[in-house]
Amino acid sequence: MTVGVGLFLRAAVAGAIAAAAFVLPGVFASAQQIDMNVVDQPGYVPSPDEEQLSGVYEKQEVFFRSSEQPGTIMIDTSQRFLYLVQPNNRALRYGIGVGRDGFQWSGLQKITRKQEWPDWRPPPEMIERQPYLPRFMAGGPGNPMGARALYLGQTIYRIHGTNQPQTIGHAVSSGCFRLVDDDIIDLYGRVPVGTKVIIKQAVAL
Amino acid sequence: MLSITPLLAAAATFTLGALLGAAGAEAQTLKTVQDRGTLVCGVSQGLAGFSIKDDKGTWSGFDVDFCRALAAAIFNDPSKVQFVPLSASERFDALKNKQIDVLSRNSTWTMGRENDSSLVFTGVTYYDGQAFLVPKSRNLTSALELDGSKVCIQKGTTSEPNAADFFETNHINYELVEGDTVADVVANYLAGKCNTLSTDESQLFALRSQFPKPGDHMILPDVISKEPLSPVVRQDDMQWFNIVKWVNFALLNAEELGVGSKTIDDALKSQKPAVKRLVGAEGDFGKPLGLTNAWAANAIRAEGNYGEIFDRNVGAHSKLGIPRGLNELWDNGGIQYAPPIR
Repeated sequence: MTVGVGLFLRAAVAGAIAAAAFVLPGVFASAQQIDMNVVDQPGYVPSPDEEQLSGVYEKQEVFFRSSEQPGTIMIDTSQRFLYLVQPNNRALRYGIGVGRDGFQWSGLQKITRKQEWPDWRPPPEMIERQPYLPRFMAGGPGNPMGARALYLGQTIYRIHGTNQPQTIGHAVSSGCFRLVDDDIIDLYGRVPVGTKVIIKQAVAL
Repeated sequence: MLSITPLLAAAATFTLGALLGAAGAEAQTLKTVQDRGTLVCGVSQGLAGFSIKDDKGTWSGFDVDFCRALAAAIFNDPSKVQFVPLSASERFDALKNKQIDVLSRNSTWTMGRENDSSLVFTGVTYYDGQAFLVPKSRNLTSALELDGSKVCIQKGTTSEPNAADFFETNHINYELVEGDTVADVVANYLAGKCNTLSTDESQLFALRSQFPKPGDHMILPDVISKEPLSPVVRQDDMQWFNIVKWVNFALLNAEELGVGSKTIDDALKSQKPAVKRLVGAEGDFGKPLGLTNAWAANAIRAEGNYGEIFDRNVGAHSKLGIPRGLNELWDNGGIQYAPPIR
């Protein structure tokens, strides 16, 4: 069973938030704290321009001190970044979309399987919220799972691509971590099955 | 004339008092601030992201928010600050002369500056350092790949010898292209007279944000010099030194503990001992400083924790977009680390 992506709610609100995000950095900061209410759009194929991230969520190498081995994936859900640890205090940083409140989880996992152009089977909870969703969608462009999926342990969660690049930087998915397709393809090529994945949440009070 | 005399007398008395205060073993900066009703904070004359005044006269920035947090810790009111813009050459004298209570002005902590014997740095709020900006089209990932580069640097700055040391140590050939001012350096770079620009990382991000196409340029992650920025106070007042120092530590501890402007009310109900001590629900940590035990909670409620202050002024969600880098918390990839409140 595969948990896909967004949750059913008001697309107009999401559009307003996304639009504001590109205009005012100040608004962006607060928008980031708001769950993005966005409907899945199976079948939608984003344009190359939409796929091109800019600013902080664009893939980049950053200073990153870690006691974890190079090759380890560290996911910082509150900052919406995925780090692939590199040697010499570096990491490759990718912008991600993360699980909404209530779907957030943390812990240590390993990549147990890799899949190109994964199929999509929305689980019953998602069908309940979005009854019009297809029960099955074969992998390929327009699939909400995007171009690649990395399976996390024995869980139903994945690191996967997306056909909705505008959701990067937001809390939208059902617990999965989503990257734009270029980024998930890049990451997929760098990490083997067995890669350690550490998922960090904001500290509980 | 006669009518002015009392004023002159008052001024003379004030000056005398200030001198006596300076000569005393323990100056009373906190009392002075409380009696005055405002904190007087020295800042820069305008540096994007750190301290800059808008056209309505409102100050903003990372260094500005630190002073607001300090004011909130003292008065439970972040607006009780008066900002005094200071040039690089006048900043330390302004502190020595008691023109300001605290200097929060992107100042590098060095031994020489503390050997001056009248000043003391309170703790690193921002780890800066020299870095390199290059066109993205060069496809570089590391400063070690800069062999054969033409490097634009401002003449007469410490950036020149720093870069020379780095290139020599790493056997990298380069050509220096000097500019007299920052504007010259940027103009040279954008005109293609060089293909690398080097100065402190924070400034590189600020400069890039003003470029016609910021997205065409990148800052390499290597930092080749140490520029730890810290607030500064006078050495004659341990109580004041501790207040400024612990406000910084409180903001850092708050981020580490998940306490921020949006979670402060939940934090007041927390059962975690470290959180309870931070927000004043347990222990007696503010009163010995001359404040209330809600000192840290008031600062956090007003300005947010360290991460929030960084983020909105210079970080990922500001115009500058500086990655946290060294300034990430010690348990999250960086080196920012505050002693515990206990």
